[in-house]
Amino acid sequence: MRIKSHPIIDDFKKGRLVKFTYNGKEMTGYEGEPIAAALKAAGVMIHRYTKKKKEPRGIFCAIGRCTDCVMVVNGKPNTRTCVTALEEGMTVETQYGVSAKKEG
Amino acid sequence: MKRYNLAVIGAGPAGLSAAIEAKKHGMKNVAVFDENSRPGGQLFKQIHKFFGSKEHKAKERGFRIGEELLTEARELGVDVHLKAVVEGIYYPMKRLGVVENDSLTNYSADNVIIATGANENFIPFDGWTLPGVMGAGAAQTMMNLNGVMPGNRILMVGSGNVGLVVSFQLLQAGCDVVAVIDAAQRIGGYGVHASKLSRAGVPFLVSHTVVKAEGSDHVTGATIAKVDEHFKVIKGTEKHLDVDTICMAVGLSPMSKLAAMTGCEMVDKGGAVPKTDKYGATSIEGLYAAGDVAGIEEASSAMITGRISALAAAKKDGYVTEEEFKNEYDELNNSINKLRKGMFSHENKGRTDLTKTDEGYELSQTLLSKGYVADNEINSFPGVDDDIKGVHPVIECTQNIPCNPCQDACKFGCIMVGDDITSLPEVNKKSKCTNCGMCVASCSGQAIFLVNNDYEPGFASVTLPYEFLPVPAVGDVGVGLDRSGHKVCKAEVVEVRKNPAFDHTTLLTIKVPRDMSMKARFYKGMEATL
Repeated sequence: MRIKSHPIIDDFKKGRLVKFTYNGKEMTGYEGEPIAAALKAAGVMIHRYTKKKKEPRGIFCAIGRCTDCVMVVNGKPNTRTCVTALEEGMTVETQYGVSAKKEG
Repeated sequence: MKRYNLAVIGAGPAGLSAAIEAKKHGMKNVAVFDENSRPGGQLFKQIHKFFGSKEHKAKERGFRIGEELLTEARELGVDVHLKAVVEGIYYPMKRLGVVENDSLTNYSADNVIIATGANENFIPFDGWTLPGVMGAGAAQTMMNLNGVMPGNRILMVGSGNVGLVVSFQLLQAGCDVVAVIDAAQRIGGYGVHASKLSRAGVPFLVSHTVVKAEGSDHVTGATIAKVDEHFKVIKGTEKHLDVDTICMAVGLSPMSKLAAMTGCEMVDKGGAVPKTDKYGATSIEGLYAAGDVAGIEEASSAMITGRISALAAAKKDGYVTEEEFKNEYDELNNSINKLRKGMFSHENKGRTDLTKTDEGYELSQTLLSKGYVADNEINSFPGVDDDIKGVHPVIECTQNIPCNPCQDACKFGCIMVGDDITSLPEVNKKSKCTNCGMCVASCSGQAIFLVNNDYEPGFASVTLPYEFLPVPAVGDVGVGLDRSGHKVCKAEVVEVRKNPAFDHTTLLTIKVPRDMSMKARFYKGMEATL
């Protein structure tokens, strides 16, 4: 959920509202904010499933270190969504192992 | 190949300060490389007022300090490379390999300052990889930079300053902090930070750890349990907490891989760090390390160590004379030494045998174990004197921490800290308090209250710092909460003060029964009925 008003921060300095797709579904977020922030605001918790044990992963360090939040962005897997800026028209997909397709 | 007099790696507080210092001493070509798209490192998510004294920018909020550093760096012509990943430092050629826009560029640099900061530590437990378990710093990034709540109901694991500060910020963002737990027997961070949480109703559980993150595809709860003195879980003490997010604040480790790559000598200091002399110089000539990568401290010290390293580089290359160097180094060294004192300094860290302050006051044990000073402990401290007539400050600052803005804030001499900034503030009985409120707003620990026992017959007023929304209005009637967060009385809001000089800290004055003036320390609106 987005913070509507804050006692200390007057303005989160967001870009314009843009559309993107998450697993084919249309969503909106602010241009320039991390993809992970737009997803979190929309309530998305799971960014990827691990390759071997197929365990869910989400935002963990939020500064581009841990790679837990990687997803397939514009077809490119292993994109760190916490440090990649949202752009209009981006396609964002849950990552299974290292691809956007569920493996058997 | 572009050549720099100084290349700094990391645009956080240490790196930016280093670049500014170098420019000021006449170095022509100074660059800062940072892999992020925004400079400032972790400064921009620090929305609380900093400690220290004026020279350390105390009572300023971290993100404003970040803005000041950026402006200064820009004005001085520092070349800031963003989205620039330094992949390697090559010696003895003094060359940096930097990936920018997916391609590699080499730069040569006469001096390199590594200021790459630190990583958060994590502890593994059952379910710790579930979405909803995250670093406290991650939560801070989501809420303070991105404006997104990290969750609704949070368990904070770790009670060091990071855990305490982030917990308070979670409350400010509108989240519910269900508990702050720590495996140690004592709360690890500043008592003033813990007190802010306690009076707002956040419980502390020391000697507790998290044993399980519940849920199948994201966190739906947490299991915590008591631990013995060897940090082993005591069977049968497991307890479920209804949370959707678990934040870990269990320390930081220096991000020193790049330094290690250069082949400079490394030592263990809470993680591998480059071995440095007092100027931050490593075993390789012209290579320095500053800020957390050279040993975990905090942002205020990082800014100073950055400047010291840049000064040393400037001297090495003849930009400053021996005398200038000595004078400035002494000044910077004095400044950092002030921050490195007190109960939470490196030498005192983790000590459990401390029972008294430097002045000899008995430390509040309730504060260390429960997060608030008990009613029967508070009167013994020098900032608390309930016999003063009329409005007067009550300073609930009970541990030696490096901070003195309260002394500067009072123009009427009511508050004395003295030259040693870790001393406990004393209230001067004779000086006249004018009820200006500057001390309340300037206290980074939010530990100063204005009490007037002669407000009205049978009633006292208490002015407290308030940093939440919505801000109550004059005439609102709610409840007064004591230091432990328990409701103790009816409270009426009689004054609400906002002032640019208070920097977003609202001063709330509540009217409470006379016998509650030394108990009521927080206000909650009507929904919190008595």
